[in-house]
Amino acid sequence: MNGKQLCVTKIGGSLLKDSKSYLYSAQKIKEIFIENGYKTIIVVSAAKGITDKLIEVAKGSQNALNYVNEKYLEIARELNSVKIIRRVEEELKRLKTVANAIGGGGVDLSIYDLLLSFGERISKILMVGALESIGVNALELHANDLIVTNENFSDASIDYISTSANLEKLYSSIIDNPAIPVVEGFIGATMDGRITTLGRGGSDYTATAIASLLNIDRVYLVTDVDGIMTTDPDTIKTAKLVKVMSYRESLEAALHGAKRINPKAFEPLEKFYSSKLVIGSWSRFGTEIVKEIPRELWGPKVVMNRSTQNMPYIAIVGEGTSTTRFIRRVLEVIDENGMDVLGVQSYIYRPSLLIYVSPTYEFKLLSLLHRELFEGDER
Amino acid sequence: MDRKVKIALIGFGSVGRALARVIALKRKIISSKYGILIDVVGVADSKGMALKAEGFDEYELLKLCELPRSGVNLFKPYAYQGVDLDVLYDNTQPEIHIELTPSEYISGEPGVSNIVYAIDRGAHVVTANKAPLVLRYREIVSRALSKGVKIKFRATVLGGTPFIETLMNMRSHDIEKVEGIVNATSNFILTEMHERLIDFNDALKRAQALGVAEANPALDIDGIDAAAKLVIISNVLEKPITIEEIYKESISGITLKDVIDAVRQGCVLKSIASFDIRGRKASIRVVRIPKSDLFAQINGIMNGVRIRSDATEVVFIGKGGGSMETAHSVLDDILSIAMEYL
Repeated sequence: MNGKQLCVTKIGGSLLKDSKSYLYSAQKIKEIFIENGYKTIIVVSAAKGITDKLIEVAKGSQNALNYVNEKYLEIARELNSVKIIRRVEEELKRLKTVANAIGGGGVDLSIYDLLLSFGERISKILMVGALESIGVNALELHANDLIVTNENFSDASIDYISTSANLEKLYSSIIDNPAIPVVEGFIGATMDGRITTLGRGGSDYTATAIASLLNIDRVYLVTDVDGIMTTDPDTIKTAKLVKVMSYRESLEAALHGAKRINPKAFEPLEKFYSSKLVIGSWSRFGTEIVKEIPRELWGPKVVMNRSTQNMPYIAIVGEGTSTTRFIRRVLEVIDENGMDVLGVQSYIYRPSLLIYVSPTYEFKLLSLLHRELFEGDER
Repeated sequence: MDRKVKIALIGFGSVGRALARVIALKRKIISSKYGILIDVVGVADSKGMALKAEGFDEYELLKLCELPRSGVNLFKPYAYQGVDLDVLYDNTQPEIHIELTPSEYISGEPGVSNIVYAIDRGAHVVTANKAPLVLRYREIVSRALSKGVKIKFRATVLGGTPFIETLMNMRSHDIEKVEGIVNATSNFILTEMHERLIDFNDALKRAQALGVAEANPALDIDGIDAAAKLVIISNVLEKPITIEEIYKESISGITLKDVIDAVRQGCVLKSIASFDIRGRKASIRVVRIPKSDLFAQINGIMNGVRIRSDATEVVFIGKGGGSMETAHSVLDDILSIAMEYL
């Protein structure tokens, strides 16, 4: 097997709600990858809502601890494997010991990260259980043995050299192994073995680091939407899928708060190997993110309303959106529609144009620009 | 052609699992480097066994590590309910017996019986369980000698370093004193008390949360584990003492005030194991150590031991109790037996 048949698949927490959703994801992994002769390394997030609950546990909430206990035990019981139930019980017991040590103080970030890590670790055990229950051989990898980070607890960065040495050691056993390896996202460990977490959305970062350090061509980021949309579909019903974006574009969109990709996820892709990111749901992978896009695909990709220090702004993201011609076009449209802007910000080296507007115009302008940029004939 | 070496792991807690993992990941590299292919043919814990005469493959070894505690009997289709060494040995013929059961210092069981059984069946023995050596060192070593098998135990003292091997090899020296920090858990707790200015109970809770201390930490904090290590050292030096003879001071009585008083005087508190060979005196004591002293720099889960002989002074510093480090020491013992005697 070579790198072309191997991919990385990250399963987001929004998809992992109950035993059915673990089994559904396992089934999809089987249908999409295994039955087509692909092998994939699975990166899992914590089940939906668990990380937030664990943050409450760190603040001393017994209710939140009970919730995590019940949620994970319920899923384990429904997967109906003595082995998985006992494993989850053991982890929950350890979680209780850790919660006990943190004592509600929450000052010591190393214990805090250790506490949060149970969300992903138990989720991994459940995913392996789900895969095995539908007849797929799976194997747990341990993020704390693989992903080496600095000591910046709660928002750690990956030490690529040490991590790559660990991954290479493992590579031959992954490749020759009949089983699907499953690793928890979001988690790493310092050189001396203390557990760290990679910050919100850190599972993407785990996935891209593994792929780029092992020269793997594709990373699937599976979530509950079909891909990146031209704008928030809850605000504007006509929002469309963005088919292709560059790293630069999606990084810029992420900086303005679009699709929760942790900006750090792009670092290994820029530095080592430029794997293609494929974003979508189990039913449709709508968006591809590649290192560079050809000139003919330049243009606006996403428009969204954000605010900074209570100043609303509309961000248009895409290669070419900071050119004079594009800015002029946008300003003309705004002017023709009788609106005024409070400020305009763009730099030629960044693929974005920010337009500050008064709150009264915010949604009107957003829908106008969306219509103009994405619903016209030229696209 | 690779020489195959069949081993059985008796005891499958954190060290056993770490060892299974290391073997799964390094077995091919070891075979290409040294021409020795390690086959794990049997694994046993308190409730059951998993046996495969031709040896578990890498995948199976890693899957074994995913079992719950005392869950080897769930490992289908290789599982057996209950432990019966006759069945294990008859079915798999292990050449090296790896004893990883927990240390129990009253009877030494099940370690003593397991090791004696292995020797009588003609298997070499590697043990990380200290208790059989602490209670029956002479008997076990002479039994092994008479049966022509080896017993190795470098994981038992300063498991992350080749301390025991070195001590055994200092044959021309007249060793006068061995002293130092030999218990990682108590050293971690003391370090936490000094660095965070927290009391003993909070430090213990942290140690338990981080997996440094066990749920029942008495062996570590009451100095029993450290004393056991001195007993093994004394036997290696052929000046045996018993564990009862050793004065043992627990760290559980140390208050935050004691720590602050020591720090004010430019010292730190350390639990020091000391064996004065000539005086035949051994103790585990909480001592004030000047901050400039070497032992004051050995913190957290690190261990450090000074060997003083009539000719020289040697110091060993290394991780004490980590399961990965211990597993590597056990594996080194396995390899040295395989290369020298098989």
